[in-house]
Amino acid sequence: MLIVDSELCIGCGVCEESCAFGAIEVIDGCAVVGDACTLCGACVENCEVEALQIEGAEKSVQADLDSWRGVWVYCEFRAGTLAPVSLELLGAGRKLADARGVHLSAVLIGAGTGDTAQRLIGHGADIVYQVDDPALAYFTDEAYGAVLIDLIKKHKPEIVLAGATAIGRSFIPGVANSLGAGLTADCTHLDIRLDDGALLQTRPAFGGNIMATIVCLSSRPQMSTVRPKVMQAMEFDAARQGKIVNVTPDPVLLQTKVRVLESVVFEQDDVNIQESDILVAGGRGMDNAKGFELIRELADSIDAAVAASRAVVDAGWIGYPHQVGQTGKTVAPKLYIACGISGAIQHVAGMQSSETIVAINRDENAPIFDVADFGIVGDMYKIIPMLISKIEGHRKS
Amino acid sequence: MKIIVCVKQVPDAKDVRLDPKTNTLAREGVQSIMNPYDQYALEEAVLLKEQLGGEVTVLSMGPPQAVDVLRQAISLGADHGVLVSDRAFAGADTWATSYTLAKAIHKIGDFDLILCGKQAIDGDTAQVGPGLAIQLDIPFVTCIQKVREASESELVLERMMDDGYDVVAVSLPVLLTVVKDLNIPRIPSLKGKMKAKKAEFKILSAEDIGADSACIGLAGSPTQVVSVFPPPPRGERAVLTGTVEEQIEQLVEKIAVYL
Ligand SMILES: Cc1cc2nc3c(=O)[nH]c(=O)nc-3n(C[C@H](O)[C@H](O)[C@H](O)COP(=O)(O)OP(=O)(O)OC[C@H]3O[C@@H](n4cnc5c(N)ncnc54)[C@H](O)[C@@H]3O)c2cc1C
Ligand SMILES: Cc1cc2nc3c(=O)[nH]c(=O)nc-3n(C[C@H](O)[C@H](O)[C@H](O)COP(=O)(O)OP(=O)(O)OC[C@H]3O[C@@H](n4cnc5c(N)ncnc54)[C@H](O)[C@@H]3O)c2cc1C
Repeated sequence: MLIVDSELCIGCGVCEESCAFGAIEVIDGCAVVGDACTLCGACVENCEVEALQIEGAEKSVQADLDSWRGVWVYCEFRAGTLAPVSLELLGAGRKLADARGVHLSAVLIGAGTGDTAQRLIGHGADIVYQVDDPALAYFTDEAYGAVLIDLIKKHKPEIVLAGATAIGRSFIPGVANSLGAGLTADCTHLDIRLDDGALLQTRPAFGGNIMATIVCLSSRPQMSTVRPKVMQAMEFDAARQGKIVNVTPDPVLLQTKVRVLESVVFEQDDVNIQESDILVAGGRGMDNAKGFELIRELADSIDAAVAASRAVVDAGWIGYPHQVGQTGKTVAPKLYIACGISGAIQHVAGMQSSETIVAINRDENAPIFDVADFGIVGDMYKIIPMLISKIEGHRKS
Repeated sequence: MKIIVCVKQVPDAKDVRLDPKTNTLAREGVQSIMNPYDQYALEEAVLLKEQLGGEVTVLSMGPPQAVDVLRQAISLGADHGVLVSDRAFAGADTWATSYTLAKAIHKIGDFDLILCGKQAIDGDTAQVGPGLAIQLDIPFVTCIQKVREASESELVLERMMDDGYDVVAVSLPVLLTVVKDLNIPRIPSLKGKMKAKKAEFKILSAEDIGADSACIGLAGSPTQVVSVFPPPPRGERAVLTGTVEEQIEQLVEKIAVYL
């Protein structure tokens, strides 16, 4: 816990200013710590009179830290398809591995993976652990988790990355917990600290209102899930050499208590809005389900996927998988076009890290304009058809 | 059926604003609420209790004022509430949080089903549910969007995936994390409110749950926050001028790189 030495504290308030969580306050000339304290230590560092100290049980450091070597990427393969984030992570992993002077390995789990392992090598992997077994045709947390845990224990990588997808965010926390490893969620930036090999993992929290850099100094592996679309995949290079290691899993690892009865993959391919470069998002301003068709038209005209505010999902105009925001998905496309969305904080939490935001709204005071890079005030029913035709014109020219 | 619902008290998003001058989260007037996803978990627990009988216990780790969310849960149909609260838990990451909740659950006793929200809107990690299941050595399924069938021994569920959904069957005990599509949480009844007013809550310390001091709080956390900073500022909003048609033309030029 954070201890204030009232003898040393001069009530200067530097700690108050340095606390991002508003958890420390100077009352009657002395710092007082509140419940929002996360023990991040920012105040301790900033205190000029050394009146603050974090006390508690010592963190025990795993004995064999140095024997963990190599960077791993879990490459997600579902229903015959490799998740695009896997290649992005190989791109990021390559840089980390080169900085550390170690191998980059890919872990491929599934059934009928075909020449996927070769693709992974072409995109940067030195080694591919290929676990291809009919029993792994459907994703289960138990079997996928057990297989990955087994491989990690055998080969002891120092870093394990996975996509922050539905699958990655489900079973990777179980893997990390079993291993007693630290796991940083939804990273948007990764770096290596050269002197001790620490992975500096940066992620947004509090609905994107704050960024935090997180390290795992006392245990290995250092694990992160990474958001799709933030890392850069390397160009495929057919000449790249690598080794494919076929792994036959112990049948015990494949036993699961959860049975998959059916796996439904939607036919329209725009359900996975987190993987889309452009999103056209519609809100309650579309009035009704029919109005919402205009959103789809705009989306079709620019090969975008359709997203929505919660108001629209609750009205039943489109399914929940399309909802953006605090109780929906977090997205960060290159271009986000918000039409008839007011920009409630719970919506903005899910889209404010988009590269470019366009807002169309008839209310010039709508808060969506506060996060927009470009805004047009006016009636969507007029604006969207004009926009579609201008875009078509632009494409032709 | 004995159901335990894990609920977290979180700052209300509409109050969470970064003060541009100090780069800190605004502290004044910040209301605390029950984590939105946990409201769906609680509702599902109460629905299952109504269908199959049994009892619902809500569990929270947090500062003393987190009893407010337990009280709210009672008004919404929970039977009991337990708070684990101790300064020693401060700084817990998701590993230490999972460990602490698991210890508290062992103290509470038998259970058939544990329900969690998909994620908390402050920490935003979605890691506590799976971690807790591992600590309890029971299977888990995340992002449940629908309970298709429920009996004393087995559940048939739909789990949301990125590209569709999976239908899974699992026997109890199991831990589930839930998403918004699952149900529509009820409004507290008058009777519920009365019950909540009178409710008393067990408050457990680190010692009460027999927690190992090396596994809780900062010491028990493999991850460590080393710096906190505001997100990169968005550029100024570009002004489009002229008639709406002219504005649209300028816009298309600006976004042409993406088209
Ligand atoms: C716990 C909690 C969680 C939530 N989670 C989410 C979430 O995940 N995602 C989410 O989106 N919301 C979420 N919400 C809801 C959120 O607070 C807002 O209610 C919601 O985002 C509003 O949706 P909207 O912008 O579509 O509708 P409104 O707020 O009704 O806005 C409609 C907008 O359309 C404009 N408009 C109307 N007609 C026209 C026209 N003809 N031309 C142009 N503009 C027009 C209006 O000016 C208005 O700005 C949550 C709320 C709570 C309490
Ligand atoms: C800026 C910041 C970044 C952080 N990043 C990480 C990180 O990357 N990795 C990490 O391990 N820790 C991280 N932490 C610590 C983490 O926020 C805490 O461990 C927190 O107690 C639980 O995580 P969460 O809020 O993400 O919960 P989630 O895992 O998102 O919560 C899921 C569900 O678990 C249940 N639950 C969670 N907490 C409680 C509780 N206290 N009581 C009862 N039920 C609960 C609820 O049902 C909830 O819906 C971070 C903390 C801060 C301040």
